Amino acid sequence: MKNVNALGQPYSDRELKGLKDLEIAQATILQTLQENKRESKNILQKTAIDEAVLESIGDGLVVMDKLGVITYVNPALERMVGWTSDEIIGNSIVDTLILEKEKGEKVSYNEEILSKVLAGGIVVADLTNPFYHVRKDKSTFPISTTVSPILLEGEIIGAVMTFRDITKEKEIDKTKTEFVSLASHQLRTPLSTINWYTEMLLSGDVGVLTEDQVKYLKEIYRGSRRMVSLVNALLSVSRMDLGTFVLEPEPTDFAQLIQNVITEQQFHIGRKMLVVSSTFQESLPLINADPKLLSMVVQNVLSNAVKYTPDEGSIDLTLALTPNKEAIRLTIVDTGYGIPKKQQGQIFTKLFRADNVREKETEGTGLGLYIAKTIIDNSEGKLWFESEENKGTTFYLELKVVDSAHPPA
Amino acid sequence: MATKTKQRGTVLVIEDERPLLAIIQIKLEKKGMKVITSRSVERAFSIEIEKNAGKYISMSSVESALKHLEDLEKVGAIWLDHNLLGSDNGIDFVTKLKANGGHWKNIPIFVVSNTSDPALVKQYAKLKVPNYYVKAEHTLESIVGDIQKALGSKKETL
Repeated sequence: MKNVNALGQPYSDRELKGLKDLEIAQATILQTLQENKRESKNILQKTAIDEAVLESIGDGLVVMDKLGVITYVNPALERMVGWTSDEIIGNSIVDTLILEKEKGEKVSYNEEILSKVLAGGIVVADLTNPFYHVRKDKSTFPISTTVSPILLEGEIIGAVMTFRDITKEKEIDKTKTEFVSLASHQLRTPLSTINWYTEMLLSGDVGVLTEDQVKYLKEIYRGSRRMVSLVNALLSVSRMDLGTFVLEPEPTDFAQLIQNVITEQQFHIGRKMLVVSSTFQESLPLINADPKLLSMVVQNVLSNAVKYTPDEGSIDLTLALTPNKEAIRLTIVDTGYGIPKKQQGQIFTKLFRADNVREKETEGTGLGLYIAKTIIDNSEGKLWFESEENKGTTFYLELKVVDSAHPPA
Repeated sequence: MATKTKQRGTVLVIEDERPLLAIIQIKLEKKGMKVITSRSVERAFSIEIEKNAGKYISMSSVESALKHLEDLEKVGAIWLDHNLLGSDNGIDFVTKLKANGGHWKNIPIFVVSNTSDPALVKQYAKLKVPNYYVKAEHTLESIVGDIQKALGSKKETL
């Protein structure tokens, strides 16, 4: 470059400085452009990695915006559900990826998933409570799902849903449950042998026994009876887990049923010198329930009250219509050991026993309340409790009356 | 029958578990009933009374099972286990028995099973067998008591 300007005159100092600045500016721009290029290359690389990650994930993945419109699905999901991404991107998830519950009832996305997630929650369906996905070809399979919100600067802009095919897990779970069922049945035969032969000896049919012999035989008999109840509980649980538990509801006199259960428990009540009082509202309507299973529920709850209330304590049973007259509520209040606050959340869990009662009573399977809750949940009823350690527990059991449209005056 | 008051009737017991079969027989006999035992359906249908066998009646395989069953006129009640030796179970037995007709159709049957499956209970009920006991749930005394009652009431109606 000649040191003269366009007019052929030498550059003034000002012009020279301007030129210098211009050169610097050009260099900066070039540098920025290069940086941008590097940056965008970085972004591209990151995107490629992300894509590869998403594509290689074994679980199905769906991204939706906050209206539930599908914006992305990964290849695993395409394979799982039989739709290609071209076919479903842009569609509403509600119409495309149809979910059902165990009994074929449709899962309402709006109520059960979207509204919860868009409010910031996370929805999880797992092995114990799976959803069933309806494929493009209408076949179904069990899935475990997690739905989480996508947050951008504190605002929810959509949600991510993962699908895991749990067909295998379900099969293993079923095999395990079937094994429990089979084993329990096999256990019953030798138990009957022990029971019946002991019974014969105790009845004196084969000769008179000494006092000690009777005492020992009674212990054997008691042990065997306990084993029978344990086997029965295991069978009930396996039936529930297999879904072969059939409820046969019929119009049932709840008060009479409770009275029978109290009578059955009389021996244990007397032994512990407990005061049991019952207040039943008069001429209650019938409820819709399976009497055998409901007896099992009341028996489980009442026997817990008996077992876990110290000698000379009290148990109060109240039976009355709910204020709206649509259901009957049984309230069982005891002055027992109570359930520790931190364990109250687990009380209906299979095989769970609270620490305080484990120390006091070795008998107990941790199955009773699980069975009770499962039966009541399947009977459109409600079972819940309030408890304070060392003060007592109150259990509530609510069941619908037969014809709630015409409650008695 | 002259021995009516002493002899409380005959019970056919079909049960595959030997120790249980033995104790059931002892208990029934102690209560004054005669007992015919079998461990399978096939055998129950081929029981032949040895006329001179007295209290204990032995079994042998006979082809014309149904004809012989007609001979067993003394049987007043049947104790039936559901799971049995061989391929036939209690349901098969009841089905064949009912199909056979005659006086066998009305013999009270007491199903005493290991299984508490409500579907099975229903199946028996459909075949007009309402007496269903889960072994581990009942004392021998109570089941035998019910059978005794059934035999008693049957005599009254005759």
